[in-house]
Amino acid sequence: MGFFVFGNLLTDPWPWWLGGICIGLLVPLMYYFTNTALGVSTGYGNLARLIFFKTRLKWLHSDAFKNIYNWRFFFIIGIVIGAFISAQLAGMLLVTSDMGRFTQMFAWPFLYQALWFFAGGFLLGLGARTANGCTSGHSIHGLANFHLSSLIATVFFLLFGFLTVHFISFLQAGGM
Amino acid sequence: MSKNLIILIFGIFFGFVLSRVGASNYDMIFSMFTMENLTLAWVILTAIVTAAVGMQVFKLLGHKGYKGIDIKIKKKELTRYTALGGAFFGIGWGMSGACPGTALAQVGEGKILAVFTILGLIAGTYIYALWLEKSQQ
Repeated sequence: MGFFVFGNLLTDPWPWWLGGICIGLLVPLMYYFTNTALGVSTGYGNLARLIFFKTRLKWLHSDAFKNIYNWRFFFIIGIVIGAFISAQLAGMLLVTSDMGRFTQMFAWPFLYQALWFFAGGFLLGLGARTANGCTSGHSIHGLANFHLSSLIATVFFLLFGFLTVHFISFLQAGGM
Repeated sequence: MSKNLIILIFGIFFGFVLSRVGASNYDMIFSMFTMENLTLAWVILTAIVTAAVGMQVFKLLGHKGYKGIDIKIKKKELTRYTALGGAFFGIGWGMSGACPGTALAQVGEGKILAVFTILGLIAGTYIYALWLEKSQQ
């Protein structure tokens, strides 16, 4: 694939620079049109309110969640729809239990695989809230605005992601 | 156009791009951390530079949004828990091959296991709220 030669933008994979530019442009565009800061993880509070609908926890009733169908909710729904459109245009399966190298490396029963991903998600959720942001809010929005907390968060995201993946490779080499 | 409709369109665009550039592909994230394939690192770096340039232009325009409204940049404060949260997040990133945004994209792509990542994310967020409440008592 040549640097400037596009296949079909609707059905082929995009080059890294085009994806990066499009994602980066979202930061000023979201401020300009909707006065919102790019970020996803706080939206999981909206989903937590929907699932734990009887919860009285103060944080889940803070100002950010006065209306749980606020912009964060619509942003989250949009991401799912956008990826669905992308996958269908690319001819991917509607539903699959495949997760690339993970399901190749660890041919565990489905329940164990599900528990693994639940545990991973749990740490993502707890970590994003404790660090006050995720890859989009800290690493993209925060770093682009030169926030110190985002730099520290991003260094730890990458360092522990690196250590975890190397640990997984080590487990796999051990024949689990 | 209502704000929520514009946001929905931004979300659809974000999800489409994440999927198209391979950010929601487990192997791409795994191989970024093993450094076999740094495509995603370049995506993130390009996004940061583009966003930073965009925000400088936005600053030159006086932080004025659509129809001239004043925009305040949302700043994230550094706390004693930022690094700890970052470490938890990094482990979750490596385990699930997803971050909070790309996990949603994986669900849109029909990956069943990502549904469990999402459920974990919701549970983790809930436990944070619970922990916050207990620690303030």
